Amino acid sequence: MKILVCIKQVPDLESRFKPDAAGVWFSDTDLAFRMNEYDEYAVEQAVRLREQLGDSAELTVLSIGPDRVVEAVKKALAMGCDRAVHVQDTAVHLKDPWQIASIIAAYAGDQGFDLIFTGMQSQDRGSAQVGVSLAEQLGVACATTLVGFEYADGAITAKRELEGGIKGVVKLRTPVLVTCQLGLNTPRYPTLPNIMKAKRKEITAIPVAELLKEEARTTATSFHHPAKKGSGLILEGDVGDLVEKVIGILKEKTSVLR
Amino acid sequence: MNLELTEEQKLIQDTARTFAKAELEPVAAQLDQGGDRAPMLANLKKLAELGFMGLNVKEQYGGSEAGVIAFSVAITEIARACASTAVTLSVNNMVCEVIQAVGNEDQKHAYIPKICSGEFAAAGFGLTETGAGSDPSGMCTQAVKDGDEYVLNGSKIFITSAPYAGVFVVWAVTDKEASKGKGISCFLIEAGTPGLVIGKEEHKMGQHASATNELIFDNCRVPAGAMMGRLNDGFRIAVAELTGGRIGIGSLGLGVGLAAMDYATKYATERTQFGQRISSFQALQWMMADGYTELEAARLLLMNAAFRKESGKSFAKEASMAKLFATEAANCACYKAMQMLWGYGYTQDFPVERYTRDARITSIYEGTSEIQRLIISREILRNFA
Repeated sequence: MKILVCIKQVPDLESRFKPDAAGVWFSDTDLAFRMNEYDEYAVEQAVRLREQLGDSAELTVLSIGPDRVVEAVKKALAMGCDRAVHVQDTAVHLKDPWQIASIIAAYAGDQGFDLIFTGMQSQDRGSAQVGVSLAEQLGVACATTLVGFEYADGAITAKRELEGGIKGVVKLRTPVLVTCQLGLNTPRYPTLPNIMKAKRKEITAIPVAELLKEEARTTATSFHHPAKKGSGLILEGDVGDLVEKVIGILKEKTSVLR
Repeated sequence: MNLELTEEQKLIQDTARTFAKAELEPVAAQLDQGGDRAPMLANLKKLAELGFMGLNVKEQYGGSEAGVIAFSVAITEIARACASTAVTLSVNNMVCEVIQAVGNEDQKHAYIPKICSGEFAAAGFGLTETGAGSDPSGMCTQAVKDGDEYVLNGSKIFITSAPYAGVFVVWAVTDKEASKGKGISCFLIEAGTPGLVIGKEEHKMGQHASATNELIFDNCRVPAGAMMGRLNDGFRIAVAELTGGRIGIGSLGLGVGLAAMDYATKYATERTQFGQRISSFQALQWMMADGYTELEAARLLLMNAAFRKESGKSFAKEASMAKLFATEAANCACYKAMQMLWGYGYTQDFPVERYTRDARITSIYEGTSEIQRLIISREILRNFA
């Protein structure tokens, strides 16, 4: 079985973000980067499946981006992926989810992957479209927001998180793509010997120009901090009056009280 | 010139940081209060399984082969959360390295994998005695040959991890008549060997979760094969291996200092006095500037010493400089941090008083600051002789 897991390297969310020179995305100067959290669930689940299937399976990890994404790729290799593909792209942040999916589809198209894992969404852009767009472009079935996963005899059983705390269970036959959600698993720490051994695993570098065929369908036009809001309203006086005032404001300005 | 960590070193740093934040930090204050040591031993086991006990040890003995720089950054990250765990890690690594450096193949295969895998919770380094601290060549513990065995008598003090160590590297006098430092040999002694007694535990100021005990040899018999390295070559081994340990303790000091400054700086951005954040006062800004500058200098000294060791260059002077500067900087950082937290810094509701107590020993153990200065000046003067 051939398994693919797609990962993205994202900035640490505790970073201080500022717009880049063009004002269409954040500047990556001085940011610390790490593997997208949802992609860690994807890698962990893919590695568990690889361990379940043994050497009859091969697990490839793919990431698109500048040279720094190799660090995230190496983490995935250290966690247990067999080989890696680095699609080299210094302008990945300017591409929309459809283009990103098309790049992966162009690579994966003739590779015959039986199972593709992605994160549910990225922590920075958060479109949650790459996984489903990739499934669409490859013409394979897809299940999103997985919180449970089992594989047996060419079919997967996926537990999906639905709205309002409801879970749904679906069965799909491979080939299939799944997107992974918080709660699916607890990603392992890569062991130090495995981090060092990952150095010896194959990382295939492919320039993005060889894979990119699609035009962008959406374009970011601006990236900025939210406008500063006016200062808050401070009410003073007798408690009874305050209650009246608050009720008045809630009735007037919100739909909480009618 | 390249001051960037490699991708592997960054991943190891990140693994150490993530693990420390998730597993060590939540229990550090509770461990400091004394009592049950089980959570630390459980964490040590997990750290062993991740490969942190043999960072600079060959794969064939169960090590990670990650190098000295990775060792330094890992110890720093662990120490940011829990200095007691970090010192245990540092000593375990040092014991693995001394066995790897001078042990024979049987000894290497018998002990290093057990320390690296966590089968042994820890390993001990038995050098110091009441009358032999800064001057270890003055030790009194004796090992007398008796047929195919050596019989040890005497006692060691301040032995880290003694109650739960699986094996000890122990130094003892094998030739009383030899000149100073020329009659000492090194032995590997397993826990539970008859005559090896774990003595009283010290009540220390800090690093409470890490046990520090007396080690008593009462007609302790070991086979002649327990000797590590050559007869009467032990003192040279001790001096050489302590040098590497200094990188570990310097890195530990750096971690504690950073934890203190990070906590105090965040606190200063939250507390207001005179109607403004206290971080807006120049008095506190200067404490931050000085504290972080000294810690950054310490980090660079440590990286330099680790890089030289990893490249096979001489590193005794650099390791002593790094250990001296980093541990003194850590103490200064804790002093400033406590000042920045005012009265709260002195209470146990905030972690800075623990950092302060944990940092204090770093400029004493693994060679006092005074001994580091002695080593540094000796190395300098050698070039002027």
